[in-house]
Amino acid sequence: MDQCIVYADERLSCPTRYNRAVREGIVRGAGLVLALVYASGIVWTYVRQPQTVGQLTGGLAAGIGAYRIDERAFNDGLAFFRRDRFVEARAALMRADPAERDARTQFYIAYSYYRQGWGRIYSDDTLFAEGLKHVDKAIALAPSGRLVVDDPNVQMHSADELRAELQAGLQRDASDFNPLRVLRPRK
Amino acid sequence: MTAAREAIVLPLMFLTVALFGGLEPGAPDPWAPPSLFSLVLAVMVLAALVRSGTLAPERLLDGSRSMIANSNGFVVLVSLFAASAQLLHMLTPRSGLPSLMVGVVLFLLLLNTLVMSPDRPRLLRSFAVVTGSAFLLKFVLLAALADPDGGRTKRVLLALFDVATLGTMTQPALDPRAGYVAFLMVLLFLVAVALLPCAAYRFPAGLVPARERAITRTES
Repeated sequence: MDQCIVYADERLSCPTRYNRAVREGIVRGAGLVLALVYASGIVWTYVRQPQTVGQLTGGLAAGIGAYRIDERAFNDGLAFFRRDRFVEARAALMRADPAERDARTQFYIAYSYYRQGWGRIYSDDTLFAEGLKHVDKAIALAPSGRLVVDDPNVQMHSADELRAELQAGLQRDASDFNPLRVLRPRK
Repeated sequence: MTAAREAIVLPLMFLTVALFGGLEPGAPDPWAPPSLFSLVLAVMVLAALVRSGTLAPERLLDGSRSMIANSNGFVVLVSLFAASAQLLHMLTPRSGLPSLMVGVVLFLLLLNTLVMSPDRPRLLRSFAVVTGSAFLLKFVLLAALADPDGGRTKRVLLALFDVATLGTMTQPALDPRAGYVAFLMVLLFLVAVALLPCAAYRFPAGLVPARERAITRTES
């Protein structure tokens, strides 16, 4: 009641002034939350360095657990992979996981680089390097860095095995001149 | 200043500049954080804004304000600092003699502004001229020199220019989108700075009728 008497001097009724204060509080609170969320997004962007809008939006969606890969595109990619059509397989797999946030998809992309780059005499360093990049991504995305894919069509089931194979392919040492290398199988 | 401007408009504008100021389209790591030197320049920008009365920190952080209002004010100050650092980093060429020259010129201009203590309108004009000039230098002049497209004559002239300057002027080619992003960010920053809560001005009684331009800033 006292407050009403005071406010009467300021040509504002109590409810009007109360509403204004509440509205201002809501605006300030909403602004603070909005700014903090935006600032967190900026920090995330500078740490993760997304290169496409898909990576940016997918990464933000993954941050709140809302990211899902396109299962249909993933299955298409897997079918191409099994028929040794690696370029098509990668196109479909990358479409399935545009934000590069799914460990299993990244594993298959890395595997496609391995199989395409593998050669009896020598391996393609460019493709192996790309494969290494994607398998590292898969390991980083997997819980505790452990990724095992239960697929009878591949010989290497864990990301660690694939990584070691890709790394070995990129190294130059005396074993490269071993003629028995031509007998080694593609995994 | 309204609560909406302080809590929503200014932070969003400055954070947008802080976000896109570091964007380098086409680069392998497209989001570049500010350099240490641009952080130093950003401190000088803040000091110049306060000294000129363009920014009144007491209207953002004060014991008489509520906690949430002070939090809003703090966010404005932090985002202003981040936006200044990113904008100056964005306007500085990446390598060679232009990088050194622009860095030194920006430092001296800001130092000069601090010493001169201009009033708000003059400081805003000065900021517009400085950022506009740096934008033209990097995104128009140097970008044209680094442009890989063009006829044989242009390439020969550029090669001769490169030899004459010992390769110190050549910059990596910029993505065509970079200039447009930079232009928008410079505009957004200047508008946001103009919207900052400024210091209260008191017109000396004798000057008001004569519409004198001299004004005195109230120090409270």
